[in-house]
Amino acid sequence: MMLLRLAQRNIWRNKRRSFIVIISVAIGITATILTDTLSMGMIFQIFDNQIGSHIGHLQIHRKGFHDNMVVQNFIPDAGAVDRALDGEPSISAYSRRVVLFGLLSSANTSSGISIIGIEPDREERITKIRASIVSGRYLTGSPNEIVVGHNLADKLGVGLGDKVVALSSTLDGHVGSDVFRIVGVFETFSSEFDKVYVYIPLEGAQRLVGLGERISEFAILTSDRKTVGLAQDALRRILGDSFEVLSFIDLIPLILVQIDMYQQSMIVFYAIIGIALILGIVNTMLMSVFERIQEFGVLMAVGLSNGKIFLMIILEALYLGLIGTAAGFVVGYLIYLPLASYGIDLSAFSEGLKSFGTGTVIYPVLTTTGIINALFLIPLMTVVGALYPAFKAIRLQPITAIRYV
Amino acid sequence: MEIIKTIDLVKTYHDNGVPVHALRGVSLTVQSGDFLVIAGPSGSGKTTLLNLVGALDVPSEGKVCFDGNDLSSKSRRELSAFRLNNLGFIFQAYNLIPVLTAMENIEFTMMLMGIPDGERKERSFRIMSDLGIAELTEKRPNEMSGGQQQRVAVARAIVTNPSIVLADEPTANLDSATGATLLDLMERMNRERNITFIFSSHDPQVIERGRRLLILRDGMVEREETR
Repeated sequence: MMLLRLAQRNIWRNKRRSFIVIISVAIGITATILTDTLSMGMIFQIFDNQIGSHIGHLQIHRKGFHDNMVVQNFIPDAGAVDRALDGEPSISAYSRRVVLFGLLSSANTSSGISIIGIEPDREERITKIRASIVSGRYLTGSPNEIVVGHNLADKLGVGLGDKVVALSSTLDGHVGSDVFRIVGVFETFSSEFDKVYVYIPLEGAQRLVGLGERISEFAILTSDRKTVGLAQDALRRILGDSFEVLSFIDLIPLILVQIDMYQQSMIVFYAIIGIALILGIVNTMLMSVFERIQEFGVLMAVGLSNGKIFLMIILEALYLGLIGTAAGFVVGYLIYLPLASYGIDLSAFSEGLKSFGTGTVIYPVLTTTGIINALFLIPLMTVVGALYPAFKAIRLQPITAIRYV
Repeated sequence: MEIIKTIDLVKTYHDNGVPVHALRGVSLTVQSGDFLVIAGPSGSGKTTLLNLVGALDVPSEGKVCFDGNDLSSKSRRELSAFRLNNLGFIFQAYNLIPVLTAMENIEFTMMLMGIPDGERKERSFRIMSDLGIAELTEKRPNEMSGGQQQRVAVARAIVTNPSIVLADEPTANLDSATGATLLDLMERMNRERNITFIFSSHDPQVIERGRRLLILRDGMVEREETR
């Protein structure tokens, strides 16, 4: 207890110096919280956008479809999947789809596309395509309606009400084509997505490639992203080996690479903050140790062991770190709260962000990991910064210290 | 009873590579309850001898034995525990811990010894009353006079009932009246508690009070007398 009291009082001997350290730590913590929450917000938005625009939490296909997305790989027994999904309590919504690759032509030009045949009403519960319509309307179910991304519309030189021709390989190996009328144009978080994806009613897609009433994909939403793994395991058990049940992580592994890159960059960021803090603490604590060498000599003389002197110096640094952390956390949290509600508008960088898949308004997210990093990592760094000065202090001989001028 | 014995103590310092012989073979025996003054001119080696006896420094040659145990064979940790359990120090510059109050300074060594809080407080208060500094309980060193600080230093040194108190020039920074009062106190502690006192001083009033006197010159014992 006496050591705690000593350490506590020692840090206020030179108030200005201690405040400088505390402010440095606080700025470091605030910067860490804001950067971490912004990064996590971006990561979550990438996930949510990918999940909400097209992928869903889970997809079910015939085994091998994901590696070879040809129309012949349709789901042989969609009824079995329907029954499995209806019986799984963690599934909140699902939709049937036909996924095709083909060409969309206007009078002027044509472009390679992904054609998604959907059940408009059910799809609305899975993805945000309806909410992304910026002109015109969503699909009503009439087989020859099509909604396209605004980038694709620009590329083809078409607009609302214009006719386009879609071509794709049919089930029997020929080329099927049909005319569609553009009823809506959408704009999502991703410029790439808006260039490639088009949505038509399920019946229109089935007719285009001669699939009859067969489908190629189930897109599924679970009640919570955390339950995806459990639902995936349950569906795999029920459906067996002739189906593939893929989660959003299986479907968009590139996102994991992106997240990994984010996390790596955060480690670099933490390292930079940490090194700056450690150098600051080393400097401060060294000054503090050199000012008190004679006092350490007296403490040694009266019987304070080297271990306790070492601990006292570490405690002093820890106090500074904890006070700075608390102050930085409060400031960071107070800045974070409004940003989390209203978002950070980064529309100035909209093109870059759209190609990255985040959207232009980022909503920071404070995670448990972020809190742990802020609350434990930085004080730990202050302790690391105090190690060298503490070693320096305990290497002194009592008499050398007492005589030190 | 013999408590300290030094045998042919030699201490050589190096000042910019030049050897300085602070002690040149000092042998000394201290009995329990002694009131010993080590005197001599500046540079005679009295503080060096006190530091070696107090295990604050290590001899270049010779040895210091406490109760028959050679201190040179002990580790830094053991020496730290030895000082805590057996010695009390009084320094010329008082050397109280500036961030602690008078009471806390006195309690400090007892805390290191693991004495419970209640007993620490009780013993500290008793010794402060005994030394006439009870009103200084909550004062920090910078709020006390030199004499008051040195009384607190004496209290800190004797509160644990050490076998020996080593006092290095304890009156050097005090006026003669305050110095005399302090010496009265230490004489009383020596009588009442049988604490052995070893002083290093060239203050005539300290030398006068010593019941044993060891006079050093040029690192050697010039004269020893018992009064």
